[in-house]
Amino acid sequence: MFKKLLSLCLAALMLVSLVACGTPEDDEATLSASPLPEVELNADFEVADDFKIGFILLHDELSTYDLNFMNAVDTVKEVLNLSDDQVIMKKNIPESNKCYEAAKELVDLGCDIVFANSFGHEDFMIKAAQEFTNVQFCHATGTKAHTAGLANFHNAFASIYEGRYLAGIAAGMKLNEMIEAGEFTAEEAKIGYVGAFTYAEVMSGYTSFYLGAKSVCPTVTMEVQFTGSWYDENEEKSAAQALINRDCKLISQHADSMGAPSACEDAGVPDVSYNGATIESCPNTFIVSSRIDWAPYYMYIIECVTKGEEIAVDWCGGLKEGSVVLTGINEKVAAEGTYDAIVDAVAKIKSGEIKVFDTDTFTVGNKKLETYLADVDTDAAFEKDTEAIHDGYFDESSERSAPYFDVQIDGITLLNSKF
Amino acid sequence: MSNEIKKTHEPLFHVAKRDSLSPLKGLLIRVIAIVVAILLCSILTFFLIGTKNPFSLISTLVDGSFGSELRIWRFAKDLAVMLCISLAVTPAFRMKFWNIGAEGQVLIGTLASISCAFYIGDAVPNGVLLVIMFFASVVAGAVWGLIPAVFKALWNTNETLFTLMMNYVATYLVAFALIKWTPDGSSTLGIVEHGHLPEIFHPYLLLIVIVGALTLGIYIYLYHSKQGYEISVVGESQKTACYIGINVKKVVIRTMVVSGAICGVMGFLYASALDHTITTATVGGLGFTAIMVSWLAKFNPFIMIATSALIVFLNQGSSQMSTAFNISSAFPNVIVGIILFFIIGCEFFINYRIKFRKSKGDAEK
Amino acid sequence: MNKEIALMMQGITKYFGSVAANKNVDLTVYKGEILAILGENGCGKTTLMNMIAGIYYPDEGKIFVDGEEANIRSPKDAFVYRIGMIHQHFKLVDVFSASENIVLGVDDGKKYSIKDVNNRVLEISERYGFHIDPKKKIHEMSVSEKQTVEIIKVLYRGADILILDEPTAVLTPQETARLFDILRRMRDDGKSILIITHKLHEVLSLSDRVAILRKGEHVATVNTAETNESELTEMMVGKKVQLNIQRSMPQNPRVRLSVSDMNAVNEEGVKVLDSISFDAYSGEILGIAGIAGSGQRELLEAIAGLQHLESGKILYQNPKNGEEVNLRDKTPLQIRDLGVRLSFVPEDRLGMGLVGNMNITDNMMLRSYRRGHSMFVDRARPKKLAEDIIHSLAVVTPGLNTPVRRLSGGNVQKVLVGREISTSPTVLMAAYPVRGLDINSSYTIYNLLNKQKENGTAVIFVGEDLDVLLELCDRIMVICAGKITGVVEGRRTTKEELGVLMTRANAAPYENRPAYPLTDDVPQCVESVAEPPVKDFPDAMNRVLMRIKKRGEPQ
Repeated sequence: MFKKLLSLCLAALMLVSLVACGTPEDDEATLSASPLPEVELNADFEVADDFKIGFILLHDELSTYDLNFMNAVDTVKEVLNLSDDQVIMKKNIPESNKCYEAAKELVDLGCDIVFANSFGHEDFMIKAAQEFTNVQFCHATGTKAHTAGLANFHNAFASIYEGRYLAGIAAGMKLNEMIEAGEFTAEEAKIGYVGAFTYAEVMSGYTSFYLGAKSVCPTVTMEVQFTGSWYDENEEKSAAQALINRDCKLISQHADSMGAPSACEDAGVPDVSYNGATIESCPNTFIVSSRIDWAPYYMYIIECVTKGEEIAVDWCGGLKEGSVVLTGINEKVAAEGTYDAIVDAVAKIKSGEIKVFDTDTFTVGNKKLETYLADVDTDAAFEKDTEAIHDGYFDESSERSAPYFDVQIDGITLLNSKF
Repeated sequence: MSNEIKKTHEPLFHVAKRDSLSPLKGLLIRVIAIVVAILLCSILTFFLIGTKNPFSLISTLVDGSFGSELRIWRFAKDLAVMLCISLAVTPAFRMKFWNIGAEGQVLIGTLASISCAFYIGDAVPNGVLLVIMFFASVVAGAVWGLIPAVFKALWNTNETLFTLMMNYVATYLVAFALIKWTPDGSSTLGIVEHGHLPEIFHPYLLLIVIVGALTLGIYIYLYHSKQGYEISVVGESQKTACYIGINVKKVVIRTMVVSGAICGVMGFLYASALDHTITTATVGGLGFTAIMVSWLAKFNPFIMIATSALIVFLNQGSSQMSTAFNISSAFPNVIVGIILFFIIGCEFFINYRIKFRKSKGDAEK
Repeated sequence: MNKEIALMMQGITKYFGSVAANKNVDLTVYKGEILAILGENGCGKTTLMNMIAGIYYPDEGKIFVDGEEANIRSPKDAFVYRIGMIHQHFKLVDVFSASENIVLGVDDGKKYSIKDVNNRVLEISERYGFHIDPKKKIHEMSVSEKQTVEIIKVLYRGADILILDEPTAVLTPQETARLFDILRRMRDDGKSILIITHKLHEVLSLSDRVAILRKGEHVATVNTAETNESELTEMMVGKKVQLNIQRSMPQNPRVRLSVSDMNAVNEEGVKVLDSISFDAYSGEILGIAGIAGSGQRELLEAIAGLQHLESGKILYQNPKNGEEVNLRDKTPLQIRDLGVRLSFVPEDRLGMGLVGNMNITDNMMLRSYRRGHSMFVDRARPKKLAEDIIHSLAVVTPGLNTPVRRLSGGNVQKVLVGREISTSPTVLMAAYPVRGLDINSSYTIYNLLNKQKENGTAVIFVGEDLDVLLELCDRIMVICAGKITGVVEGRRTTKEELGVLMTRANAAPYENRPAYPLTDDVPQCVESVAEPPVKDFPDAMNRVLMRIKKRGEPQ
């Protein structure tokens, strides 16, 4: 009732603001169909009535990061016809002992699976997993499952680098369009990227994005500015502005607030977003956005528990599983042919024709990367332990679900890398 | 000046200050305030959220803190943590030194303990390590209290702003340490394996006992020690303090060191008994909530047990609401806000009384 | 009386908590009269006036202005009814000029023009005989000028009923006389004037009628011409009170405290103590007279170790071992550690001498809590002392646990003085110890001081009521603007002489130690003594004192 009223009000407000902001431009921003849509989830198994799953979330729906997890929960709940009592969500659980307490409470309430969504939850999830061996503990973005040696603790991630690669293609084509229109020369094509931390997950993300752009616009370069926080609207906005002032022609980001997209809209610089479409507030700059869809993983773990099967220690969902999705393309901003180019690339990635981190497509110190030891097994000294390059490409996310590509390749400049 | 005289009626009611109120009556007013607040919130919840019956709010609130053995222990533990930080700010507040730096003082205490465990955890036995951690935390917290106190005493700087800034310094020191300790860039330390307090019967029991002892200790310090007496005099009147020869600067500095040291104890407990790790959000704003807890308790450590319990009860209840009703956490925050508004607002009725116009009948004496 | 009624109060009652500040008060004020409101402290004078002025609202009763029932809920309402009050504490903006303060808050719908205001202010001044420069800033003004601004402020708003709350407390006798002239002129102009005061002689010389309040109730209103001082006092306190203060001869006086060339400046760098030199003898009461703010506070605080001195010496003669120590720039703690038994009853009782929010026991502890090596306080002894003081000084309190701020002014002072004399001091300093006290409490304090004097304590008494100073003190030192303008002998001086000395702001600094010896021809005021200071109370002095005693107390 209240929610309905609220959404009605919001809709009215939006309408008003749309009318108020109605620019003389005729063409309205509209989203095309997604070149990489969500997959249909099919429930070919029956979930027991006494099955319960608990979720531990770092924040609540105000954070786009957590909202993404929550939306997936709603989807799965509907597909599997789960009752309210079967799905318990604990929001605003910090990365501290509180996470262990929450996990314990969820077990106490009878959960068969406990899922936590923040990197810092991991140690406390392991602590709980050691204590409650008959409950499955699944943790998104973590790195320790394959070394923890626990049968009931699992890590999960998605090959979001593939999604970013595809989004990068859209960015590259936009740059090409602007070069053709004579706005700047090919050599001046530069992307700005707002990152959270100088951390493998982010580095893998911006590198794949860059390589995607480079696959269509070979002269492109990139500058990265880190904020040192996953969510800091002001920091992200000023980082984006700084990049724009440094003549970046297009911006993308890996951080959770609206800071960077709104800075782009203010400056009229095209933006490739993350974690969802920002077309409503940025109709003139939004191109496309990639995100992880967690619903396939939820389906997978529930199915495993229902059927009594083992859950994979590391699970990395890709394009096939539907873990990586793209929003529709903003036809007003995106270059012509973007949709087709991405659909084409999706097919090639699926078939294996395109490897995102193909060592032929980038250099490190002007040399081809022949060998690279990645830090896959977490230990106190952060030792590099595993050879990651096979068959001419960097094999991301195969040794463990969380990204471990942390190579600094040519063409990308880190403006600050101290975090 | 115009000559017309406004025809005004006697106002419907007016406000008069109370001379004093018996403690029982004061308690009654507060209980009534809480009951009215919960009734109002129940009705709001019933209509806006569409709960099954009007009592689900109160049952959910109670459920959040006392619904299972696990939750009762968690309630007791959170109460102990809240109480400990509230006790820490109390000596300074009794002195009317507006120390809002408990957040930073606890955090720096935690950082000190975690640093010890991180660097020398391997080298020394656990018992020795715990002692070292304890002293490191106490000293760190005390220094964080000492710095603003010295500036206040010598140059009369504004302690509120100063302690607030010290919070940021502590937070960024933690951020710096995390970056240094986690070269992979994740800024997440994880559980440090050394320096855990032993578990006696229950993981939280030792913590609760320590805070219980601390409560008694602080009470005796404030009400029966000479230093506690000096704190009261300085807080009530610096002129009187000078007049009887109290060195006000010395008392200000000493009291802030005590406040900071107690915060340091809490920092040690975070590191050794609770989190075994540190993030910039380890204290999670409790350093600020503690100000309200201490104030509501009129700076009395024993009453503080009750006010801490109330705040913890509301916090647990609100997160339980969010889970049980499957709603955003905004609405429970509104409910907590309404209840706190009534609790704080009823102080007005404790200090003043409302007199209604007589014509309504002489029912009022 | 066939005069018109300006204001009438019927059955006014006002409670503060459970205490009735005013109970069923009926009062009538006529046009063109000066009505004095007389009563002991805490009898509800100010509360009653505040209700007329709209500061408080009565719990019961009605107020009529010009025959119509009036509802006065704020000072703004009061002005609508042409009522204005001049408070004891001025409410002026320091950096504004007189005119700016006067016009502040006036909303008469006219265009604001400071020129018009200045003219209007001058017009009012001329009419009633004020002397004021409308452009002068408040912070440049004397107390008397500020009061003038307050009065004009009220007149500017068209007040016909003026209430003055103890207007003479801050004025010199000369200024008081001038104020009274003005008030009389206003009365003749048809205004009603209500004046609150303690001072009987002012009541008698100024007012047309006197309304006497006692314990919140209206006792009587009498025509001034038909009454006298003792009748008024009787009505005020309910019984005949001996006006004479007991005064014994100083016994074996010796120099206890010897101050020489004391200089001090305040925070703004203004000189507050200027070459102060005097001796205080054991067994005598040395009075200090002067207009408020002439350096009395700084003088006492310098001796007590609370005021930094630029130069000078404060030599204390220890009666036990005859040693001499310099107290200059010592902290109160150091002074005590030197074995100096110095007690100090400061002017600001609840802000300095006591802690208002603490109970009597804890206040007793202020002086003694450090005793012993234990880290804990011992409340047993202070509690005993508190009980003793409550008992022996008849302190009215609901109990030992009542915060002292809840006690009445007299009881607060008894608690403070009681504590200060409980340490059997060798020097006792008291600043305005009877300010705001009712007559009974005042006499209790006088007796306590006299007892100390008889015990051989050197008592220094800073007072404002000249009558009291003249009746209580053996010697009176007068200071003006931080300088000693004279030391006179209490038994042989008149109020007028003191008044003159109090206002001699530009006199040359008073020389050296201007007290003894006094010869048979005792001069009223000894200007200077060339001989070296005499430490003993001379026989000549004793002879003089004896003779005075035989002749009977002056007045």
